[in-house]
Amino acid sequence: MGQKQTYTQDELIVLIREKDQKAFSYLYDNYSQALFGVINAIVNDTEESEDVLQKAFLKIWNSFSSYDTEKGRLYTWMLNISRNMAIDSTRSKHEKIKSKIQSTDENVYKYENSLSVDDASHDLIGLKTILNNLKEEHRQIIDLVYFEGYTQDEISKKLGMPLGTVKTKVRQAILTLRELTKKEFLQ
Amino acid sequence: MNINEIISSGLLESYVLGTATTEENALINQLCKKHPELVREIELIEEGLINFSGKADSPLNPELKSMIQEQLSFTEAKPAMAEARVVELHAPVESRLNLYKFGIAASIVMFIVSFIYNIMLQKELSKVNGELAELGATKSYMADELKIQQASFKNMNDRFGVVSNPKTKTVALNGMNYLAKSSAAVHWNTETDEVYFNAAALPGSPANKQYQLWAIVEGKPVDMGMIDMGSSTAVFQKMKAVKGAQAFAVTIEDVGGSAAPTLETMCLLGNV
Repeated sequence: MGQKQTYTQDELIVLIREKDQKAFSYLYDNYSQALFGVINAIVNDTEESEDVLQKAFLKIWNSFSSYDTEKGRLYTWMLNISRNMAIDSTRSKHEKIKSKIQSTDENVYKYENSLSVDDASHDLIGLKTILNNLKEEHRQIIDLVYFEGYTQDEISKKLGMPLGTVKTKVRQAILTLRELTKKEFLQ
Repeated sequence: MNINEIISSGLLESYVLGTATTEENALINQLCKKHPELVREIELIEEGLINFSGKADSPLNPELKSMIQEQLSFTEAKPAMAEARVVELHAPVESRLNLYKFGIAASIVMFIVSFIYNIMLQKELSKVNGELAELGATKSYMADELKIQQASFKNMNDRFGVVSNPKTKTVALNGMNYLAKSSAAVHWNTETDEVYFNAAALPGSPANKQYQLWAIVEGKPVDMGMIDMGSSTAVFQKMKAVKGAQAFAVTIEDVGGSAAPTLETMCLLGNV
């Protein structure tokens, strides 16, 4: 009977469907910082990121009926919404600039969204320091899959790596991040 | 399929990142039902991602939360949205209101009827006298009935006031053991510390036993009073006041209550 209420994912989902204010509070308290991190890593502007975060939460709350547990985790769904909104936000700003970038096949679609030409130097002010702790190949893969929204199939083709290897490298990268952020947390 | 192989293949990372295929998602959902270690690993992956994502930026502007909250709609005990929460009281209030209106209408009708009779039957005094006496008695009966309905309406109105007060926290109590099929609620006014116990259909307590309400304050049970069943199964009763309640529970005690709850008999429980 402690002060802080915790909900399992299933309990939270029921409460959100009922439009319970406690559920919104819990959702915001537990996920806003993470979603903001992803958004800001893409948008790279605090004010604009706050704006995108607001829009993302509105969309999450108001279109919650379109979330289906069969599709996967709640966080994954919210991550997708936030990431897409962040990408859309930068797309409108950078469309003009991007038209000058090399237009070879699939690169256009992908780099339209990034802030820099060179995919290795995706300008992550916030999370850069943490990602730099990873091996370069791990850093690159996490950048592509988490911030740019590449599927692992696309990464496999792009990097010329077997799909199974991409998956295990993603796992290794995330295991490292888990360790890194655990330690920082305890500090 | 070996569970450890699944974990080390990175399939769960795909799942959490949202890059797994529809078939893979369906497979994982299925396997999770039978293998809690998969669920645990998924939770750890997710936790790691969330920690990592939230680490680098400074804490968010606290005003952001309220700005977002203001733009959303919730199901809450706000006066405008009281209907959603006050389900149990709604029907009784309505039926009492209808009886109240009926009471007024009926007594007005009776008054008009007796007045008309008075004029019409002036020629036949003995007949009129007899009928007047009869009508008078009926009017008195309606006036009594009206008073009863008014008291009942006031009672319901007060209850509605309790429940719809924005300072009131409504705590749902889940039934278990003896009351496994029941539910109830506690309305706790966090400003005045008043507590009301509310049950729409509570079965009678076992013979020679009574329901006792408790509040959990700082981890310890505090007596909130005995629940008075009265003549019906519906209860809306003002209990003792309390500050700092973390949860409310009901146990079954001997008549008159107990200083400490008999935990094995706990039949209703809800967290604030």
